[in-house]
Amino acid sequence: MSFLAPTAFAFAAAIPIVILFYLLKRRRVVKLVPSTLLWQRFLAETQASAPFQKLRKNWLLVLQLLLLALVILALARPFFAGKTAAGRLIVVILDASASMQSTDESPSRFERARREALDLVNSLHETDQMVVLLAAAHTEVRQSPTSNKTALRRALQSCQPSDTPTRLAEALKIAHPLVKDRRDAEIHLYSDGAAPDLTEFEFEGLNVAYHQVGRRALNVGIISAEARAHPEDARRRAVFASVFNASSNNVSGELELHFDGTFVETRHIELGPRETSPQVFTVSQEKDGVFTLRLDVPDELAADNEVHVASLMPKPVNVLLVTRSGGYLERALRVVPNLNLAVAEDIVDEGATYDIVVIDDVLPSSWPTVNTLTIRSAPTNWVQVTGRVEAPLIVDWKNTHPLLRFVNFDEVQIAEALRVRTPTWAVPLVEASDTPLVLAGEIGRQRVVWIGFDTMQSTWPLRISFPIFVANAVEWLNPASTRSSQAMVRAGDPIRMPLSGSATNAVVQLPDGTKRTVPIDPGVREFAFADTARNGVYKVDTGEGQSWFCVNLLDPAETDTTPKSELRFGRYARALATTLKPANLELWRRLAAAALAVMMFEWWFYHRRTA
Amino acid sequence: MVDTLLSPELLRRLEQLELLARRRAKSSVKGERSSRARGHSVEFADYRSYVAGDDLRYLDWNLYGRLERLFLKLYEEERELPVRIFLDASESMTFGEPVKFDFARQVAAAIGYIALCGFDCVSTVVFPEHESDATLRAALRMVRGRKSALAFLRNLAALTAGGPANLNEALRRGAVEARHAGLAVVISDFLDPAGYEQGLGALIGRGFQVDVIQVLAPEELEPTTFGDLRLVDSETGAQQEVTFGRHRLTAYRQTVEAYVRKLRDFCRARGVSFFLASSATPLDELVLKRLRQAEVVG
Repeated sequence: MSFLAPTAFAFAAAIPIVILFYLLKRRRVVKLVPSTLLWQRFLAETQASAPFQKLRKNWLLVLQLLLLALVILALARPFFAGKTAAGRLIVVILDASASMQSTDESPSRFERARREALDLVNSLHETDQMVVLLAAAHTEVRQSPTSNKTALRRALQSCQPSDTPTRLAEALKIAHPLVKDRRDAEIHLYSDGAAPDLTEFEFEGLNVAYHQVGRRALNVGIISAEARAHPEDARRRAVFASVFNASSNNVSGELELHFDGTFVETRHIELGPRETSPQVFTVSQEKDGVFTLRLDVPDELAADNEVHVASLMPKPVNVLLVTRSGGYLERALRVVPNLNLAVAEDIVDEGATYDIVVIDDVLPSSWPTVNTLTIRSAPTNWVQVTGRVEAPLIVDWKNTHPLLRFVNFDEVQIAEALRVRTPTWAVPLVEASDTPLVLAGEIGRQRVVWIGFDTMQSTWPLRISFPIFVANAVEWLNPASTRSSQAMVRAGDPIRMPLSGSATNAVVQLPDGTKRTVPIDPGVREFAFADTARNGVYKVDTGEGQSWFCVNLLDPAETDTTPKSELRFGRYARALATTLKPANLELWRRLAAAALAVMMFEWWFYHRRTA
Repeated sequence: MVDTLLSPELLRRLEQLELLARRRAKSSVKGERSSRARGHSVEFADYRSYVAGDDLRYLDWNLYGRLERLFLKLYEEERELPVRIFLDASESMTFGEPVKFDFARQVAAAIGYIALCGFDCVSTVVFPEHESDATLRAALRMVRGRKSALAFLRNLAALTAGGPANLNEALRRGAVEARHAGLAVVISDFLDPAGYEQGLGALIGRGFQVDVIQVLAPEELEPTTFGDLRLVDSETGAQQEVTFGRHRLTAYRQTVEAYVRKLRDFCRARGVSFFLASSATPLDELVLKRLRQAEVVG
């Protein structure tokens, strides 16, 4: 047994004081009696009368000395050492993601994790070093390696949970080089295990102690939300939301929809265990604003109960179709609602007056700078054409991409396509066996959809999927919808917004009302802000105009607060939640409890003695 | 006053009793007690041979007729029994509920009254000496005859108690002062730090038949005050600190029992009758029952 605070033994100086008090005269009731003879004999038979012998068999004194000894021992903080290897390096990773705000632990999972980490600090030996990493969307090094317990405690106390998803892999990647070459290094991970990204992380034999916090999952949350133009009425908006019940009970509650703080609609929802319920609200919208979805269900995590969705008014989109033939493409464009179509054979002003330019197998004299859909435009610097493919066979398409929503490439035959390599700016949406057929991506701030074959030389225009794709493409390329999606980010992700004015500073008002001034680089007409750890609506004031953006959690992994008893690293490795803490087991609480019991017994004994 | 000390009912019953002396009276005064002295009475005792000068009236002529020798008839001379009552009137006797001294002088009055009714001489020694009622005490030193009984009771009732007592000294002195040994009744609480052995020993040595009546207050037998106490001795002023709780009552009782047992054993070993009485004991129970059972009175 060792002592963390051996200086507390100085309080042992109080022991003679207690004895002295016993030797001192007690205030007594004076009583005149006929004779003290019998009393003297009585005392002589029951106790000795010499000063120090008086203390003999004085159980009250013995109890008080025992009490004092226990208190002094407790103050000296004895402990049984768990591991005594000196000079360890301990990396503490504190999960600060949204799910750690769950209140199933008292007061929260994060506070519980912090308390355990502080216990670990208390148990450090003088030669041990510790690093504190705070892992949320990004990992922060809160304390570089040190043995200074005060600095470590301060670092832990300054940590706060955020509304962001967990990226533990990043934290482990930071911890890895620290512990790589040290046999006596340990990683202590305090988390609830809601970390899906760990499967990407190769374990490599790290000495990880996983301290699982969290006892149960009692949570209902909004895991996705979106506001889109109503497919039938451009003036109306469809607000989609998915509500997930992570608990093993049936839950019911209300889902409220507000627009710019004004109540719009409420809906009663009932969810079975681990059930996801899609909800669609159809509302009319007169101006740009923010839809707020608020879930009124009793649960233990508040961070996923409110979602803000930016929604900009749809504007008529001006499309320039550069084509020689028109045909199916023109017809498909004309049925897209709220679209002004102009048809030309060439581009004269880089398409600057249009929102979208569609280039149909034409080589324009100048390339557009606006969002573009280009079909079989070979000599561009966007893609590198390496040849041609005869009758390419479509093998895969990404129907999760917004462009391919409800688009099916079954029974689509293509006569010939350009053979290209997938450029870095784009993702292949439709792929043949040896070349991508449709690419989509962003070049700078310009969105581009590139189709590598002539649609007229395929059976695609005859399929229902073609007009749907065109409509999807117009929606995706529409700068208004781009702005809408740009105004929403996941918690922890940086936001970038284009600026038109010449402001040099932007003042950002955070959801909690605090303000931050962000300098704007005059060379880049863009506002960038990374401190998005809190959910809510952020207001940006550049002095020339106000705008806003929304930050939401929207992470099924965080909403599913079920504590994981094991973490999987990579394909094979896993770390089980440790139940035996390597921290030294301090005894002062037990000693203090014993002291309390002794005190209560002493009180009873004293009254029994004089009653 | 007389009524408060002894009730008329009790007085009437006491009149029927007498002190039973195991020894013959040694007093020189004629009384109703048989004595070793031969004298003139109706109680025949013995014969002896005639010597010249004897009173011819006591010759037994019938015997002379038969044996032709002169014998003198001897008769027992009846003398009085000197009864000496030692009454403790120290400060410690003024305590108790009822007060120990009140009880003690009631006992003294009862025994004295029995003795006076039996034509015995009653000498009451009240100790310690007290200036204020010296006359009363002097009057109690020697009382004879039934006619003095009223004065005896009145004087007893008028006594006051106080001051520190020396039991040994008082008994020893009483033993020395007595012209004739007789019956000695010692009524005290026997709570004298100096002890009682020498005093009682002196009485026994002088030839007294001793009866000891120890009077203790109910509070002394069973204390009712608890807590952290500083006890002050009423006679010596000595202080004693004690922390006393109910759980120690048994230990205290054992102490008292041991003290009483020691006195009783002392008495028993010397043929002394011993009685322990709480001051709350009814007087008639002590006198009419326990003293009769022990054949102190009969």
